[in-house]
Amino acid sequence: MTAIRNPAERWFESRGWSAFSFQREVWDAYAAGESGLIHAATGTGKTYAAWWAPLLEYIAERSTESVATEATARTARAARKASLPLRVLWITPLRALAGDTAGALLQPVSDLGLPWSVETRTGDTSPAERSRQSRKLPTALVTTPESLSLLLSRADASDQFNDLRLVVADEWHELMGTKRGVQAQLCLARLRAICPNLRTWGLSATIGNLEDARRALLGRSAKRSRIVQGVEPKKIVIDSLIPPVIERFPWAGHLGTEMVPQVVEAIGEGETSIVFTNTRSQTEIWYQAILAHRPDWAGTIALHHGSLDRKQREWVEEGLRTAKLRCVVATSSLDLGVDFSPVDRVLQIGSPKGIARLTQRAGRSGHRPGAPSRVTCVPTHTLELIEVAAARDGMASGSIESRIPVTRPLDVLAQHIVTIAVGEGFVPSELLDEVRDTDGYADLPDDEWEWTLQFISNGGDALKGYPEYSKVEVTESGRWKVQDRAIAHRHRMSIGTIVSDAHVVVQYLRGPRLGSVEESFISRLTQGDRFVFAGTPLEFVRVRDMVAWVRRAPNTKGAIPRWMGSRLPLSGELAAALRNRLGEAERGVYRDAEMQALRPILEVQRKWSHIPGPSEFLIERVKTREGHHLFFFPFEGRLVHEGLAALFAYRISRIKPITFSMSSNDYGFELLSPDEAPLDEAIAAGLLDPSNLVDDISASLNATEMARRQFREIARVAGLVFPGFPRSGKSARQLQASSGLFFDVFQRYDSSNMLLGQAHREVLERQLERTRLGLTLQRISEAALVVTNPKRTPPLAFPMLADRTRERLSSEKLADRIRRMQDALERAAG
Amino acid sequence: MSDGDLTISIIGETLTLLPERAMFWSCQATLFIADPHFGKAATFRAHGIPVPSGTTDEGIARLDGLVQRTMASRLIFLGDLLHAKAGRSHEMFAAVGRWRRSNPKVEMLLVRGNHDRRAGDPPDELGISCTDAPHMLSPFVLDHHPRAHADGYVLAGHVHPGVRVVGERLPCFVFGAEVAILPAFGEFTGLAMIDTVETDSVYAIAEDCVIQLRNPESPESSVNSF
Repeated sequence: MTAIRNPAERWFESRGWSAFSFQREVWDAYAAGESGLIHAATGTGKTYAAWWAPLLEYIAERSTESVATEATARTARAARKASLPLRVLWITPLRALAGDTAGALLQPVSDLGLPWSVETRTGDTSPAERSRQSRKLPTALVTTPESLSLLLSRADASDQFNDLRLVVADEWHELMGTKRGVQAQLCLARLRAICPNLRTWGLSATIGNLEDARRALLGRSAKRSRIVQGVEPKKIVIDSLIPPVIERFPWAGHLGTEMVPQVVEAIGEGETSIVFTNTRSQTEIWYQAILAHRPDWAGTIALHHGSLDRKQREWVEEGLRTAKLRCVVATSSLDLGVDFSPVDRVLQIGSPKGIARLTQRAGRSGHRPGAPSRVTCVPTHTLELIEVAAARDGMASGSIESRIPVTRPLDVLAQHIVTIAVGEGFVPSELLDEVRDTDGYADLPDDEWEWTLQFISNGGDALKGYPEYSKVEVTESGRWKVQDRAIAHRHRMSIGTIVSDAHVVVQYLRGPRLGSVEESFISRLTQGDRFVFAGTPLEFVRVRDMVAWVRRAPNTKGAIPRWMGSRLPLSGELAAALRNRLGEAERGVYRDAEMQALRPILEVQRKWSHIPGPSEFLIERVKTREGHHLFFFPFEGRLVHEGLAALFAYRISRIKPITFSMSSNDYGFELLSPDEAPLDEAIAAGLLDPSNLVDDISASLNATEMARRQFREIARVAGLVFPGFPRSGKSARQLQASSGLFFDVFQRYDSSNMLLGQAHREVLERQLERTRLGLTLQRISEAALVVTNPKRTPPLAFPMLADRTRERLSSEKLADRIRRMQDALERAAG
Repeated sequence: MSDGDLTISIIGETLTLLPERAMFWSCQATLFIADPHFGKAATFRAHGIPVPSGTTDEGIARLDGLVQRTMASRLIFLGDLLHAKAGRSHEMFAAVGRWRRSNPKVEMLLVRGNHDRRAGDPPDELGISCTDAPHMLSPFVLDHHPRAHADGYVLAGHVHPGVRVVGERLPCFVFGAEVAILPAFGEFTGLAMIDTVETDSVYAIAEDCVIQLRNPESPESSVNSF
């Protein structure tokens, strides 16, 4: 090690810290011109590992220059004016994190009196600040992928990024598996093209596929980069609150908020707690339940989720940091970000879903030296106790989930190309080279590139000969540009890949905003209806111009809004650990508190049907008043089960005309039919056969319906459908059509439209997890098949029976199905 | 008439609901069409949104088939014949004109809707007379917006009604106590899921069949285009 301590080490020392060797490694690598990826748990110094690198570079540059005058500006405005031009871009996935990150970056800058300005630019940035930034960008800018794209849509983008030295992709593991990650990849490639000496560093939690993460971040230049491992994570303790009475039947075991007394007790044991839930609605429900149990805690407990107004969220975060709050009920909105040091207790309500996720949440506690991180799981359903035991196994064996990068989404590409065309414009051959520099489009075939260019210029094959259509035009100098100001404006307004339902702001009649809920929820309310939002009982007054005006309601009875959003499936790693735990139970081994608590239920399962071991595949046939049920148990997560359900329904329906309604959960899926399905015949005909998987799924009616739904995101990203903008007026209204309508019209009149192909591919790869689906089918086709005929629905199957959100697949004529349904209803009514 | 049609009786008149999203009043040989929105795709294209052509041609072909098989002598549009000013493309009017010339004897009337007011009337050479709503056609009142009228039972459009049945979203006819709403004729128009009351009769179009719904599933609201 060098004897001379550098300014970074001196600064660390002044704060009573010392630099880690991984931080020094990053500083040296950066100085040598390298890029890379740093992985470590949250709160272990990744930020300063990346941030001090360009600071050290600047300090070294300054000391070698003969003129080393420090600007001593008297006012903040003058200081900003005198600060250096843009050198560092810091990309963060959550705009809520931008402020905290900028604060952390600013610390050494102000301690050392460097002439650097550090600012944020996100969707929350005020117009005044934006216009100041458009005159001059700060030395370091903390921003989101969307805001970065917007910066690239400026006509002077190249000049702005002239002196850029470093771009940091913070929480890269959060971005890399999404279309936003691809959007970031394209922006990074653009920046690399503008500044050839740019270095890129990614900050990531530890994941199962770090190599993929590095390639996604750096594209072609990944070869000349390194992966730096941060400090080892803390020890993590996982335990559970075991329900006091375990019913032998899990339908009675649906716990809801019956666990509240135990949760309240656990909160009482700690100084400051975070109670994590899996959905925003759950957050509202548990906040109310805890408050109802301990009214004296009013004012010291709070809730936090992504739909709450920013001011309220910031207030809650501040309360956690300063230990003013006893407890915060939160969704994944608190998974990331700066440390909340006072937190000493973390609870997880409901399924942990994945090992990495539970690790991340556990890591929010135990910042005191020597204290382990601890997370206490609270089952909302008794069977979830198996998942807790399985998660503990997974963590012990170090199996951490991977994040699979998205490849070649043409909707994101189309959006990015238009972004560049709105800004500086492009020459296709140059832009193609840049696009192929990313990992996501490294293998982009020529025909897909050509098609995308046509799509944004003349509309593609189907639109040839439509003189009225033009979006991107080729100028006389050969550059492709957007000339029409209205098109450019609409594009800027809709940059991004996050697609959500139209949202309505919720605001007090004479008071502040509370946050936003989906329009579909508000549209069901009439004046005087009560609902609970942001932890407050509200009365709906009226909706006007996308604002739902409310007043406070006296009591807490009322609906809780639901937000759409992907329900996470059980991860593959956790699912495998779970199958092993069931295998132990099958052999009569119940190792820990969770499994012992579950023993009565699993014994009923054994008695009525069978407990499937890891090398078995269980099918249960049950007849109820509803019809004939087939329950299949691959234990592979909900998404895979949805695909298998469609596949099996399709394969059985080829044997005889039949209508199935399907439901899936993380453990298995159910096919329900009015008449008995020919299961044995179907098995003999190759029901479990792994070959023809993709063809059969694509042929099933549901694949088209799923693709139609998937098209919602694609249509929005590719610029076919626009989010409602404020003051859009009548002329925008005539341009409204649902994505489903686009899908139908393309399907019929432009079937070679590559966005349709993308929708089908996304359904297979992302919704149904094709790779995992194939592996699962392989596994169950080799497993020992166990078919049972229980007289009543056994415990493992029951939750599926109770699920009311069903998909349908039918080989019957639609009119026949409607008549059959109506006849059945009339018979039932007597 | 064909197998998928459904004949109903309302205020003593016999009406036939056709799965091509149209309604036929046989004693008057009159065909009713609501919301064709011709030129909608062209409107999108003019604003830089690539929608393929074909929807307008499909609409004209379907209209032509309807006129042939019903042998209608009169065709009435219950509003929103044209989508927007930007969609008044030469190609669209040329296609409509060719069809009009092949059916010279059919009397055609447009009861103007909200879109027509902004998009303008069709060109004179198409021979479609235009009138403001409401328009009397005893015992019916023709309107675009579904609102009750003292002078008679109202036939209207505007809503693009849809129902959810056996998990599918289907276009439908809704016959209320004083007003009937027809499904939108245009293919590129979308559906608005409707709330129905007990006195409403709802007829869904299930592919090539019109079916009366006896137990519409609980409606769910949805945002869509008009």
